[in-house]
Amino acid sequence: MFFKSRRYRKSFLKSLLFVLPGVAITVAFVIYPVINTFWLSLHNWKGVGGAPVIWVGIENYVKTLTSPKFWNSMLNAFYFMVGGFVILMPLAFGMALLVTSKIRGTKFFKASYLMPVMLGTTAVGLMWSFMLNANFGVFAQFLNAIGKPEWIMNWLATPTVNIWCVVLVNEWMYAGYNMLIFAAGIVAIPDEVHDAALLDGCTGLRKIIHITVPLCKNMFMVFSVLCITGCLKAFDIVWSMTGGGPMDTSATPAVLLYTQGFQFKLMGRSGAISMILLILGLVLSILLNNVIFKQDDM
Amino acid sequence: MNKYVVARGIKKGAQYFIAALLAAVTFFPLIVTFISSLKTNDEILLGMFSMPKVWNFSNYPDAVRIANALKSIANSLFVAIATLVVTVIIAMPAAYTIARKSYGYLKAVYILFMAGVMVPVHCTLVSVTKISSSLGTKNSFAFLILIYTAFNLSQAIFLFTGYIASLDRGLDEAAKIDGCGDLHLLVRILMPICKPIIATEAILVFIYGYSELIFSLILITDSSKYTISRAMLNFTANYTTDYGPQFAFVIMSMIPMLIIYLVLHEKVEAGILAGAVKG
Repeated sequence: MFFKSRRYRKSFLKSLLFVLPGVAITVAFVIYPVINTFWLSLHNWKGVGGAPVIWVGIENYVKTLTSPKFWNSMLNAFYFMVGGFVILMPLAFGMALLVTSKIRGTKFFKASYLMPVMLGTTAVGLMWSFMLNANFGVFAQFLNAIGKPEWIMNWLATPTVNIWCVVLVNEWMYAGYNMLIFAAGIVAIPDEVHDAALLDGCTGLRKIIHITVPLCKNMFMVFSVLCITGCLKAFDIVWSMTGGGPMDTSATPAVLLYTQGFQFKLMGRSGAISMILLILGLVLSILLNNVIFKQDDM
Repeated sequence: MNKYVVARGIKKGAQYFIAALLAAVTFFPLIVTFISSLKTNDEILLGMFSMPKVWNFSNYPDAVRIANALKSIANSLFVAIATLVVTVIIAMPAAYTIARKSYGYLKAVYILFMAGVMVPVHCTLVSVTKISSSLGTKNSFAFLILIYTAFNLSQAIFLFTGYIASLDRGLDEAAKIDGCGDLHLLVRILMPICKPIIATEAILVFIYGYSELIFSLILITDSSKYTISRAMLNFTANYTTDYGPQFAFVIMSMIPMLIIYLVLHEKVEAGILAGAVKG
């Protein structure tokens, strides 16, 4: 009995040893920072070691929620979402239909469409901001060539236009990524369904609308979750193309919390935006998961 | 019948046309940027969309000299590879324990890692800077790698646990009867079987680590330690007189990833899909 319990204790300790490094890192660098950010969001702090940390209660939240900059950044995040559903979803689904169809070279097309994801967001952002340059960029050159130089403007410095440029570049980069999701759904449709559809004379566009799309419902759900939670987090692509500027007009919430915290040194304000983002993200993903769960029950 | 054949032909043709058009849109910016990287500054200012008069490769050595491009690419490769090694080494034993043991506390551990997946990186920025300045680890690659690991660990454990749980327990029992301890079992028997999922995770971590931006923005201030994203942004913001080297730098930064993609594209596709659907 004594022997058994010692062995049990030994293997119990060993299991602790196995999970401990992972737990320690996650607690130290993910969980603790979130709690600390919450604490900071209730204070004012200049972000320098010796600067005083002053308790201000919910002032940072009030100031954030009443600031036009914050709501503008939420609007930009909303544009990301609209772009996701109106442009990215049909585009990615169309690509998925193509790479799962019976044409030759689907492997090549699939690999090509996915390629932009590999390039690195910053490189993609810089590449496209060269393309959009009003002096020597490809689009300016094209408009000159067709005799419409008056249409040329500094796209990345014009409010609303700049965020849509970023959104479109984002769709260019991630179309192939989402294509993979949809393609996995299309491939999973059993052959019998296709045969049955053929027998019933259901082909072409009608087959896509009545068979492929409903049977890929799960994949549309996955896309929706990724798109809605992703639009709040967009940072790299915005930062590399516009830096959130001019005057934060193209900032997403993630960019705004960075500029507030690290350029204006308003750590408390930045913390408040972080918390709002975190809670919004959690609520949205729980809500979406419940919607999916309920629909699966039906 | 004939009408049917014609209709099918038109449909096929349309499919090829759209597929090729999309591929062209995908490659177009890359090609234009590459061609522009071979031009002189005067040629670029006349417009990106034209062929260079002379193929001029001097922008590449310029980018290496002025922006320290090779150094920053090496930094990024080092950080990415170190992150993926550390992530696998830490995640594997944890996933094994969660999948195979049944101590009560492991449920809590699993929930902790699931919570880790939900936390957006940006919500921790302020605190991570604070931690790093109180530890004096600004500009330390070791700290950067730890942070990258922390944000990849949850996903790795999630994928590994699922994979190990799907393996037959009979294997473990057989090994245990042969006198094999936990560590031995994990390293010698489970790791080789788990190779596919390790490859998947390694690819995801590598893509993340190579091009990560926000933590290198706040944690690295020494220009000789810039990772590639940081170095490119710094260069394009400060060196605005001559565009050629900027284009060359952007192209150079993409080369390591493109090589990996050319060699491993099927593995990359599988990896990205596994990472995405996990949600």
